[in-house]
Amino acid sequence: MKKLAFVVEADRCIGCKGCQIACKLENHLGLGTNRTLIKEIGPTGEYPNIQMYFLPAMCQQCKNPTCVAVCPTGACHVNPEDGVILIDQEKCIGCKSCVRACPYEAISFNEERHVSDKCDLCAQSRQQGNAPACVKNCSGGALHVGDLNDPESDVSKLLADAGEANVYNLRDFGNGPAVKYILKNDDWLDILPQECVSVRRGKQK
Amino acid sequence: MSTTDFLAATDIANGLTLTDDQSCTFKTATKTALDDQTDNVQIIKTACRACISNCGVLATVKNGRVVHLEGNPEDPMSKGHMCAKGLSGIQALYNPNRNKYPLVRVGQRGENKWKRISWDTAIDTIAHKLMAARQDFGAESVFCSTGGGGNPEFWSISRFCNIFGTPNWFEPGCAQCYLPRMCVYDMMYGGTNASIADSNAQEIYFPKTTKMKSLVLWGADPSYSSPASGGSALVDLRAQGIKTVVIDPRMTPDAAKADVWLPIRPGSDVALELAWIRYIIENNLYDHDFVLRWTNLPYLVNTETNLLWRAETSTAPDQPDTFMVWDEKTNSAQPLPYPYNDDLDVALEGTYVINGVTYKTGFQCLKETVADYTLEKAAKICWLPKDKIEAAIRTFTDNMPGGLCLGVATDQSPNSAQAAMAAGIIDLLMGDVERPGALLQRFGTAGATNMIGYCVPPAPAKLPDAQLKKRLGTIEHKGLHMWLAGHAPSILHAIETGDPYPLRVWLERSGNKLVNLADSKRWAKATEKVDFIVHMYMYPTSFSAYADMLLPTEEWLETDMIVESCNKLMARQSVTHVWETIDETVIWSKLAKRCAQLGHEGCQKAFDPVYMGDDLPYWDNMSELLNANLKDTPFTWEQLKKEAPIEYMSEADYRSYYVYQQPDPKTGLPKGFPTPSKKCELYLERMITLGRTGQPYSHCALPPASKDYSPLPYYEEPYESPLLGNDLAEEYPLVMTNGRVPYYHHGTLRNTAWTRELYPAPEVWIHPQAAQKYGVADNDWVWVESLRGKVRGIAHLTTGINPGSVYMERFWNPETLNTKTHGWQEMNVNVLARSQGPYNDVFGTYTLRAYLVKVYKAKEGAPEGIWLEPKEFKAFLPKSAEATPDITKGAQL
Repeated sequence: MKKLAFVVEADRCIGCKGCQIACKLENHLGLGTNRTLIKEIGPTGEYPNIQMYFLPAMCQQCKNPTCVAVCPTGACHVNPEDGVILIDQEKCIGCKSCVRACPYEAISFNEERHVSDKCDLCAQSRQQGNAPACVKNCSGGALHVGDLNDPESDVSKLLADAGEANVYNLRDFGNGPAVKYILKNDDWLDILPQECVSVRRGKQK
Repeated sequence: MSTTDFLAATDIANGLTLTDDQSCTFKTATKTALDDQTDNVQIIKTACRACISNCGVLATVKNGRVVHLEGNPEDPMSKGHMCAKGLSGIQALYNPNRNKYPLVRVGQRGENKWKRISWDTAIDTIAHKLMAARQDFGAESVFCSTGGGGNPEFWSISRFCNIFGTPNWFEPGCAQCYLPRMCVYDMMYGGTNASIADSNAQEIYFPKTTKMKSLVLWGADPSYSSPASGGSALVDLRAQGIKTVVIDPRMTPDAAKADVWLPIRPGSDVALELAWIRYIIENNLYDHDFVLRWTNLPYLVNTETNLLWRAETSTAPDQPDTFMVWDEKTNSAQPLPYPYNDDLDVALEGTYVINGVTYKTGFQCLKETVADYTLEKAAKICWLPKDKIEAAIRTFTDNMPGGLCLGVATDQSPNSAQAAMAAGIIDLLMGDVERPGALLQRFGTAGATNMIGYCVPPAPAKLPDAQLKKRLGTIEHKGLHMWLAGHAPSILHAIETGDPYPLRVWLERSGNKLVNLADSKRWAKATEKVDFIVHMYMYPTSFSAYADMLLPTEEWLETDMIVESCNKLMARQSVTHVWETIDETVIWSKLAKRCAQLGHEGCQKAFDPVYMGDDLPYWDNMSELLNANLKDTPFTWEQLKKEAPIEYMSEADYRSYYVYQQPDPKTGLPKGFPTPSKKCELYLERMITLGRTGQPYSHCALPPASKDYSPLPYYEEPYESPLLGNDLAEEYPLVMTNGRVPYYHHGTLRNTAWTRELYPAPEVWIHPQAAQKYGVADNDWVWVESLRGKVRGIAHLTTGINPGSVYMERFWNPETLNTKTHGWQEMNVNVLARSQGPYNDVFGTYTLRAYLVKVYKAKEGAPEGIWLEPKEFKAFLPKSAEATPDITKGAQL
């Protein structure tokens, strides 16, 4: 069975967040709704010998997705054709069970439409043969999407070339995150996306 | 279009108030939206202008409305990528706060009460004000300004000034952004500088085949300043194993990915550069052969005059003078005919007394200039570990060929010229010029754009000499003449005091003068002294509140312009048009035309093709201008719009290496470099000439500056220094630096919803040690205060900043435009910046970075009325606007 997911060359992410805007434009996302967020991992270490890298964080396309397991209506489901986890917003009742269940806080809630929203690898655009908007516009060329179950796919080759020692995934809580991160030039840190500040809005008095 | 739409779109909450006198309705001459059910969908190839990078764009236009943007993979620089700024183009185009029609003020200044007027009335009113000011106070009492943000055509303003007869235009960049680097490299070796953000250094766009092995990014962060082009190219270069060194007080993405990061104290760059030069000479790391044969460092300098000793002055304008060198074979001074004489044993170093006069080689002078700058000394001045400095130099010198990209950082404090001179010297000592892998190249060009990539000929010679001599601040700072620009602090002084003459009418085209100029409070106050102020831009900014008339200009998606991207020509073309906006290029043309009708002789002649010659007669529309620019290419503008990107030259021809070694068909000798000596002039004697006469940039001789400019770089400690012995540092202990975030360009895009959602307020980067000392916690609202005022920002505690520095980027708040702050007083770092002297001798650069501040917790929290939460930016979301005809393209209103 196919399993489409991201392979991220984290060494190539320059933190410009162009992908975030590309995603919003492509998917007509409202304010407060994001399907992908760039997180800064670090800096860590003793100044001036410090490291920092960027982590594009989006739906991890888990093999045992907790969002699907908790969804009471079946809105959150796995597309059998390509293994991509989708939210059928017609069926979503806005109970936010999936939002709470996702260990990476990768599911956004669309307040206006009162439905959950997450990355579907630009499902509509892919149907027309296009790459996801973030992949197309990524300045670093860090983002790749392909079939992880096909050893001949570009992403599988990319992972093989990188070598197992340089391939990581987010912390596995038994849900089996499928997204792979390649990091060669910095030390991978086991930090969850939600542990990083994404946008500073200031502490109120 | 209904009146309601119009009123709603100039929303009081975040825009300008209009009076009730708005009965005039817009007559749509042609309705672009189709009446039948068939959607008209086109994908148009254009080029972005959300910053200065010009990335190729595929714009999807449905029934006249732009609905989608993505990168065009045919662009050889951006290769199909687009950044947050460019991708916000639709939100910018259909922003509810667009300036939609010419407006004239009807209330008091700052009251924000406006009345719609026609373009004819607007142009006529301005032209009458201009003519009256010219008659009463002289043409020089009119001054104009622009700025880099928001789709400018720089030279359209300069041209208008030259033709109208005023020497005074200025912009917040110029001496503070790009001019020092552009001018110094032009003088030093005759080619473009290596600024990646300015689309130079084009070697980097060929990562697979370049021979480059190392790259120094000095105060440059392409990942943030030009993510889709330069930033992207650097990712590829690093992936190819190219070593990088980053010198930046702030850990930018490029710093995080560098082999060596030097978090330098802001403002101390030249001290570090001098230490690099000393180390390179001391350790014999330079390209000896290149320095001997292709630089002027072996030439003898008369130490009494600091001028080079000429054996013979050339009478042919394109042939170099003959200079004297020391021949070690005969132990005597000998003329060195161009290009070289292998019979001589030319000394590179040495001091020689000849007929009682002491001569030194240029190399000797350089060596003595840097003699004190040991690594230890630089480490102390620059707040850096000595071993890291050495590692940085070695990373560069051990990995040749390479290149040094000097970014904007050093242009922003008074050592600007010297920083560029030292950077050029480092790169040229290593021989990093015109060889494969170097950043300094003379690659091909289609010749369809002029200085810094624009199309309007500035017509400098049309400004009468007597007027040129009145250009404010430029007898002292003659480097400004390269850009035909006045000195911003001298203009401010003249507005405030009338010294040396009054400035009465101000035509301004830029994002937000009060945010981009140092010492905003003084500028805001100074507007009271100006009789008539016009602000033309795509939307109102803080500055609009101080203006008397607002003119609507085009967003980049409405604009036409030729773009050169490596070996391809691209077209920025209007993919739609909304409201009554006009390309500013044409606005200046209209003003010139009306002034001509009112009897201005210079403006009358500006429409005469014979008189104007290569400076072109004024145009009625962009097609005329762009076709004139394409005359040396096989293409027309119409063709470019349809077919671009077009490869105008093969990649192999475009990447022309070693141009200086090619034979000159006239002489059979190597072409050399485009400098008077045809050598790289590391001993920059021409600085002396520039300071004394204005040559080569002023078209008439000017009186000398009070002091000669130095032909070699020197380090000057910032006036507001944090080093011991300065009382000011007790009160204000931290050094301010600035630098881009990738969501905004200069003052732009603070009014688009998605960019503000992403970065709603400026971060104040502070090292945890400093934060602890000053009682600041992460995410606190803090005050940042200098001698000139205080503003607020959000503390970002990070070890990614020099512990003695703080970082903050420019900001303004369109949401408080209609309050007493007019949006520029809350979080605007340039309230703090220093417009007083000392200034850079050559360029008059003031202090945008490297002044002293203190940081402390703001008990009051966030400034009143500002927006932070995503939902608050709803009022900035695009509103529907029908496509309208562009009146400059023949449409009638």
